[in-house]
Amino acid sequence: MLWSELRDLKDDIDYGTPPRAGPDVTLTVDGQAVTVPHGSSVMFAAAQARRNIPKLCATDTLEAWGSCRLCLVEIEGRSGFPASCTTIVSDGMAVRTQSEKLQQLRKGVLELYLSDFPAEDIEGGWSEFHDALAQCGVTSHPYEPTETHLNSPVDVSNPYFLFDPAKCIVCNRCVRACEEIQGTFALTVQGRGFDSKVAAGQDEPFFESECVSCGACVQTCPTQALVEKSLFEGEYSRG
Amino acid sequence: MANPIKPDKQVVTTCAYCGVGCGFKAETHQGRIVRMIPWKEGKANHGHSCIKGRFAYDYYVSDDRVTTPLIRKSIDDPWTPVSWETAIQHAASELRRVQAKYGAKSVGAVSSSRCTNEEIFLVQKLARAVMGNNNIDNCARICHSPTQFGLSATVGWGAASQHFDSIMQADVIMVVGANPTEGHPVFGSLMKRRLRQGAKLIVIDPRRTETVQSPHIRADVHLNLRPGTNVAVLDSIAHVVVREKLYNEAFVRERCEFDEFERWAAFVASDRYSPDVVGPEAGLDPDLIRKAARLYASGPNSAIYYGLGVTEHSQGSTGVMCLGNLSLACGMLGREGVGVNPLRGQGNVQGGSCLGSWPHVFSGYRFVTDDEVRSSFEQDWGVALDPEPGLRLPNMFDAAIAGNFRGMYIMGEDPVQSDPNQSHIIEAMRQMECVVIQDLFLNETSKYAHVFLPGSSSLEKDGSFTSAERRVNRVRKVVEPLAGYQDWEIVVMLMNAMGYPAKYAHAGEILDEIARLSPAYKGISFELLDRIGSAQWPCDENAPTGTEVLHREKFPRANGRGTFMLTEYVPTAERTNDKFPLLLTTGRILTQYNVGTQTRRTENNRWHSEDVLEISEHDARTRGIRDGDRVKVSSRFGSTELKAKYSERVGSGIVYTTFHHAETRINVVTSDLSDWATNCPEYKVTAVEVTKVAAEGAQKRAKSKTREEAVTA
Repeated sequence: MLWSELRDLKDDIDYGTPPRAGPDVTLTVDGQAVTVPHGSSVMFAAAQARRNIPKLCATDTLEAWGSCRLCLVEIEGRSGFPASCTTIVSDGMAVRTQSEKLQQLRKGVLELYLSDFPAEDIEGGWSEFHDALAQCGVTSHPYEPTETHLNSPVDVSNPYFLFDPAKCIVCNRCVRACEEIQGTFALTVQGRGFDSKVAAGQDEPFFESECVSCGACVQTCPTQALVEKSLFEGEYSRG
Repeated sequence: MANPIKPDKQVVTTCAYCGVGCGFKAETHQGRIVRMIPWKEGKANHGHSCIKGRFAYDYYVSDDRVTTPLIRKSIDDPWTPVSWETAIQHAASELRRVQAKYGAKSVGAVSSSRCTNEEIFLVQKLARAVMGNNNIDNCARICHSPTQFGLSATVGWGAASQHFDSIMQADVIMVVGANPTEGHPVFGSLMKRRLRQGAKLIVIDPRRTETVQSPHIRADVHLNLRPGTNVAVLDSIAHVVVREKLYNEAFVRERCEFDEFERWAAFVASDRYSPDVVGPEAGLDPDLIRKAARLYASGPNSAIYYGLGVTEHSQGSTGVMCLGNLSLACGMLGREGVGVNPLRGQGNVQGGSCLGSWPHVFSGYRFVTDDEVRSSFEQDWGVALDPEPGLRLPNMFDAAIAGNFRGMYIMGEDPVQSDPNQSHIIEAMRQMECVVIQDLFLNETSKYAHVFLPGSSSLEKDGSFTSAERRVNRVRKVVEPLAGYQDWEIVVMLMNAMGYPAKYAHAGEILDEIARLSPAYKGISFELLDRIGSAQWPCDENAPTGTEVLHREKFPRANGRGTFMLTEYVPTAERTNDKFPLLLTTGRILTQYNVGTQTRRTENNRWHSEDVLEISEHDARTRGIRDGDRVKVSSRFGSTELKAKYSERVGSGIVYTTFHHAETRINVVTSDLSDWATNCPEYKVTAVEVTKVAAEGAQKRAKSKTREEAVTA
């Protein structure tokens, strides 16, 4: 079937990358044998084996992107720490999802994200980002206050959702959802490095852009930078 | 803290808006809905949503929700709030009084495609078993009745042949008189996904819609025909298919009535339907018609999706038959990636169609005149039933004016706003002695009502909807009904008060009754839907989890073969002349839904706070109209005022508007012509003139703007 990426989705599981159709491939994840269709990612195989690899930029409704660097794994016979979302399975592959080195790398990545995330919202949040923090046991970061996005203005122009750049990790999920799922192409990431930011249309407020408010970006945002206004009592305020 | 509230409960249910039937998880916090999350396992949406289903749900707590039953003696009196018991007793005794005075057939019922299957079924039972006649109709009359008629005549069943996902296997997609990205946005997104993978696109629509061109999408052929020429153009496409021998002879020989094919082929092959003749008539380049025909016939998988732009014409049924003919001739039925698929506007138009909400048929389109079928219902319901077909909705209004129709029960419908020829309907409504309305809000029609029963939104009740892909989806109660009762419970109370003993412990028992009495729903129950999520009818012992693709081996006709109908093009009587030189056609916009009962009570108004008239700059300038001017649109039937907007979406000679706002009163302008077979009104073609209105109108506009701002503030 050509559409397994749509039809095989499960409500309570995020495989991290879209399900594929294809001949069986068998590999091991943390010593456990798992069989998945050809073309699946290592992350997908790990999810099938109930070995959930922490992730931020990956979700099974979107093609893999490989930007957050949280889902790194070790693969026997290969050097380095490949991202499991963009690595395709092969027969006999032996994957390790947990090690001291991996834990250290993931912690480093999350601490960097946290250094530019509103400190008062670390506790009490329930986004995928908060899940990843909990999964990796990260609650704080060691960095001195420096240049951050914490004072970027919140876009509250859309009646139904807002965009708070302070919580954005520029994972591109919103941009990809607008393209791959909705097909409107209203969002982009503009600028480079520290200056890169999610922008609607020609860097307009969401409401004035060609955004059709389908909600796909809000749905997929892992940090609740894009979030329904209905989840807040009164005006949205930081801190 | 800027951390959001975490919802404390989730209920999986089905969106109440268009016919796509998206699955949603309604999330509540302390008993109030705080968010609607698209359900990843929803078979139509796979976790996607549009602005309406995702965000526009707050209408259910709108300040003007009626939560107490209301009655009054005369439509000139103010409403009096009363208890449920008083209201139900009053409605029952008044309907019975009217029947005693004017006869058993002097009353009737109307249901809506916004009701659940269970409610639709109960309302037709109310008419047949309790009122004792077949005066039952539903709003599919004004949108997709030609689908039922035209598809039944050719392929056997008046329903979509495919499931939505089937489009992911299509190589050529032909969209006729539909604008999925606005009207059926989640399906529109799926279609665009397939188009980005390389499928070809043919669009037949007078308007240059977003479907024709959008980021990374461009129609390979756009036939921007003159409104009203659908049948000529489709016959011309068939002409090319036959003359160039592009049809699938093996399929036709194996699966269709070959004699009928030959008769049809000879008919469309006549010079009358040559692109060189039809092209100029429809305002099209003949070569584009040829290109469309070749593209469609070449497939290998070609799928047709169509909307009200096909059905809402005086030849609506003929247009649907053209599509049936074409798909049969080219062998584009019976597998994934092909088919003929109506895009249904309302969440439950398919349910409204297949559950007997018609004056001539029971559920499953079985005739009330058929003794065997009727006796099966008589046995189950324990009463004798009228063998004579009842009145269609427009005929009920005609009968009211003629003097022998005096009472109505209307559930979830606003015919005064949504049906054609408004002044005629108002005149009819004024004749009635007892009109009972069951709805969420007072509306245009309730101005002429005597009893108002406050209904429940789909977020407040249990039941099921049947979407445009024949999929029966479960509707689940998320919050308690604001007025105290689910709609089906109110109908049961009315039935009891009128002397018929109906009793159901829960809505699932009504679905069980539907399954018992309707072959296509035989295997469907709440238990099945809860277990597997949803099921497409037919669902029975041969297909215990439902049927995704119809017509795989044979067609549901007596001999199992598809057949061809002769589809002669008869131009509509509604024509332009010196006085009314422009053609008005109507449609929808993404953020609003039908007459706006729900969406206008939400922030969606921020995008579309009024209906505007799209007009080409050329036509506007020759009339001295500037972009944004207030204009008067007049036809032979009436006139209304709205704001003009220069648009490149319409060509010269054509104007377009939406019908979401009551103030627009566009149905005052539309003609009273209707489909020859089904009475579906011809909303898509009206000859009009557009003139600029002077300062007085501008003042009126300022006034209504202020009111709108007050509403949204």
